[in-house]
Amino acid sequence: MDEDPPELNRRPAPRANATVDVIPQAVVEETPFQQLIRHWMNERHAPDILRTQEGLLGRMLDHIKKQTDDVQLLRADPDSSEDEHFRIMLVQTEIERVKFVIRSYIRTRLHKIEKYARYISTTPEIHERLTQAELDHARRYSHLVETHFNNSVLQSLPEEQQSLNDQVPFLPPMIPVPDKTRAVFAHALDACPPVRLPDGSTMEMDKDQISLTPYHVVEQLLAQGAVELV
Amino acid sequence: MAYGDDATQLVIESKRSQHADSLLKYNDHLVRAVIREQRDLEKLIQAALARLAPAAPGDDVAVTADVVLYQTVILRNKRCLLAYHAHRLDRLKDLYWSVGGALPLLLSAPTTAVSANAAGDLRSRLSPHEVDFLRAYNDSLIDFRSGVIDTEELDLFAQISKPPKDLHVLVRVVRDCGVIQTEVGAIDFRRGQRFLVRRADVEHLIVQGYLDEVS
Repeated sequence: MDEDPPELNRRPAPRANATVDVIPQAVVEETPFQQLIRHWMNERHAPDILRTQEGLLGRMLDHIKKQTDDVQLLRADPDSSEDEHFRIMLVQTEIERVKFVIRSYIRTRLHKIEKYARYISTTPEIHERLTQAELDHARRYSHLVETHFNNSVLQSLPEEQQSLNDQVPFLPPMIPVPDKTRAVFAHALDACPPVRLPDGSTMEMDKDQISLTPYHVVEQLLAQGAVELV
Repeated sequence: MAYGDDATQLVIESKRSQHADSLLKYNDHLVRAVIREQRDLEKLIQAALARLAPAAPGDDVAVTADVVLYQTVILRNKRCLLAYHAHRLDRLKDLYWSVGGALPLLLSAPTTAVSANAAGDLRSRLSPHEVDFLRAYNDSLIDFRSGVIDTEELDLFAQISKPPKDLHVLVRVVRDCGVIQTEVGAIDFRRGQRFLVRRADVEHLIVQGYLDEVS
């Protein structure tokens, strides 16, 4: 992943056909692909579902589409040299790899959405973190599972036993929720403001410091982009 | 037989299918047995509640103990029933994704056995409700896909376990799959032949077991 061909390193133009790259090279700015990798890793490590990166994803997909078209054009051009063909191959390979990351990112979210479908569809605060399509799928999926449980089991049981939300002391709840106490490795991208630890003390992370903490401790920092999960 | 034995048996079946990485036949018999037990228990609990002295319900220790016992078994059995069904759904979804979301392939006749996943004759092992679930799940995903990535470029159902290293892949045809459009034109894949093709063009055929990767 570390040897992107130059085409993918270039920031995608915000408007179509704007080719001028005005971002000064001196500023170390994350390329869209690096951003995607960061969000992908965060999503894979976090127990909870994170805010969707719909815009970034859309830009990447547009970019891929454009590059694929360009590659087709260049390949069809009889005058392109051996050297160019080699570069085309690199670009194509890189496109496949970017697609792999996007696919894995979407599937990771899908997995969490299905796992916590009932929790997500009943908790409005989470809805804004999902795209419309994801939210629709969560609702449909949780409905599907409930229908399946009803048809296979619950409708045959006495009426008193048909609830899907028994709250019994000493039994785990029937709606699975993300385990925010799960330990994660957080890497500070900037110096972070102090965060409160479960035992009441506070922790301050310097830039580039890596800590092993429960997820809920760094949840806010992660949302602000001050840390990444590694 | 003690209360809860059948339910335990159900959970053991789930565990076994997890370890064997397979999906056992839907145990309709056992599920019904547990459901019958639940109905009997409900009757017992209602009878016990009726016996409680209406004036001072807490006083009759023996009856209260009965109620607690029945209630505990009922809750446990119910959880076991649901766990059994939920676990099967998870396994079904795994199978579904492992063949790249090719539902017809999954539910088709046993003659077209899927190579690695041995999903052959899956249908006879499912309950009718599970087949319904799978269909509805497939529909929901197709809706989802058209909502998120409405583009030909990205195949949501392709594998996500190994990042691609090469553009091209050498494949051996395991089953005839007819003429496929590829980058270099149409290729008629016939059993036993080998081709060097672009991975993206045939990825879904590899996943579905038509082609075998030659490494």
